[in-house]
Amino acid sequence: MGVTGIYILGTVIPSVIIGLLLAALLNIEWIKGRGLFRTLFYIPVVTSMAAAAVIWGWLYEPNFGLVNYFLSIFGISNIKWLSDPNYALLALIIVGVWKRIGYNMVLFLAGLQTIPKTYYEAAEIDGATPWRKFVNITLPLLSPTTLFVFIMQFIASFRVFVSVSVMTSGGPAKSTQVITYYLYENAFKYLKFGYASAVAVVMFAMMVVFTLIQFRVSKGRVHYQ
Amino acid sequence: MRRKPALPIRIIVYLAILFVAIIINLPFFWMLVTSFKTEDAAFSIPPSFLPTIFDLRNFVKAFELIPLARYIWNTLFVALTVTLLQLIFNSLAAYGLARIRFRGANVVFMILIGTLMVPPEVTMVPLYVIVKQFGFIDKYSALIVPFMSSAFGIFLLRQFFMGIPKELEEAAIIDGASRMKIFVRIILPLSKPALYTMALYTFLAHWNEYMWPLIVINDAKKQMIQVGISQFVSGWETQWTLRMAASTTAVIPIIILFFFVQKQFVEGISISGLKE
Repeated sequence: MGVTGIYILGTVIPSVIIGLLLAALLNIEWIKGRGLFRTLFYIPVVTSMAAAAVIWGWLYEPNFGLVNYFLSIFGISNIKWLSDPNYALLALIIVGVWKRIGYNMVLFLAGLQTIPKTYYEAAEIDGATPWRKFVNITLPLLSPTTLFVFIMQFIASFRVFVSVSVMTSGGPAKSTQVITYYLYENAFKYLKFGYASAVAVVMFAMMVVFTLIQFRVSKGRVHYQ
Repeated sequence: MRRKPALPIRIIVYLAILFVAIIINLPFFWMLVTSFKTEDAAFSIPPSFLPTIFDLRNFVKAFELIPLARYIWNTLFVALTVTLLQLIFNSLAAYGLARIRFRGANVVFMILIGTLMVPPEVTMVPLYVIVKQFGFIDKYSALIVPFMSSAFGIFLLRQFFMGIPKELEEAAIIDGASRMKIFVRIILPLSKPALYTMALYTFLAHWNEYMWPLIVINDAKKQMIQVGISQFVSGWETQWTLRMAASTTAVIPIIILFFFVQKQFVEGISISGLKE
């Protein structure tokens, strides 16, 4: 369970922040080819997690993988990404973030487009800097989108299965034993259907509770214009 | 009119975007390059960023080592069948919920929406038990029958149908058209964009599906492509050039398809804000 918690925190927060930053970048009006960039950022979302996991398995290969090659340029050498219990979960988190940035970006872009331009124009007349505009106009008006993205990502992270199944099978030393994989193993390897169903019920209850908590916490901080 | 910032700033912003685009797509580039390399070239340091062989020999070997052609055919068959069935059943159900008043319509709709909140991982075990009792294990029906219709698709289409002006149907009713005729002649032609988006989502979801076939299909010949390319066949794990060739086969058609339909796709997400 702790593993799932770390995975959720590790993927949701960076993927939301990076997604927001990319959306803000692609929302700048004078940039040409925004549609093309949007498409390029979105490619990991449409490809299958299974294939992505195979590809990342090769990138993470300890001796000849591209990741360790880039790290060796900075003097970091020979991390056994998928077979070292200290790194395996981090490796999966990186893949998870990479896969979801584009999805968040598209939702944020849609949110950004609903903010009336007149607000920015008024702020400019008052002499606001780009940073002030972002913090005082964009972020508050985007808060409904942000809440939605957070909840979607939270649920998606809770459900992580494919990358674990393909890349680590819950190992090494159970360091990537997320709840869905635990559920899968109990049901279909050990054939403990009753126990696995109990795990499923607990998992669902936790998802509902955490989602409700997120709504509660966000109350008063989310501005629906 | 807001003015553009100075040239150096613009260049920095462009470079930043380009850099991110390259980083995000580097894994796919690396997959493609590796699938056109000899094994020696793939296992060299420093790695070369260019292909070393210019024919499809890794692909041919991959197709020989695992039944890749069979996987592709299986997956196409299942994904297209599911998509077709969903087009039929989802649109019928959605039309009923959008237009026909019947007792308990709201309750049915609420139950439907409620099921959207339950992730498939939670219902995986009971669904397996049901499918097993039907005798569907190791059959394509295990992959098709439970997915003949989807709450998400019904919801999407219902919302779209609700937006079609009622006057059109009222005029047709005065002319003596039956419900079915109205549905086929008026509603469906007007809903092409929504049907198209739903079909794309469904096809893609089933092409990319991994967990469910992993559970219900044990027969290697009947396996779906995503499980096929990621499972461990002996001697397969370390043959990265072949594995990358297999991944390329599974991924590149989807990326090409996506480039053609990305507008419908991305807009579909912005509108519905649902599902990956």
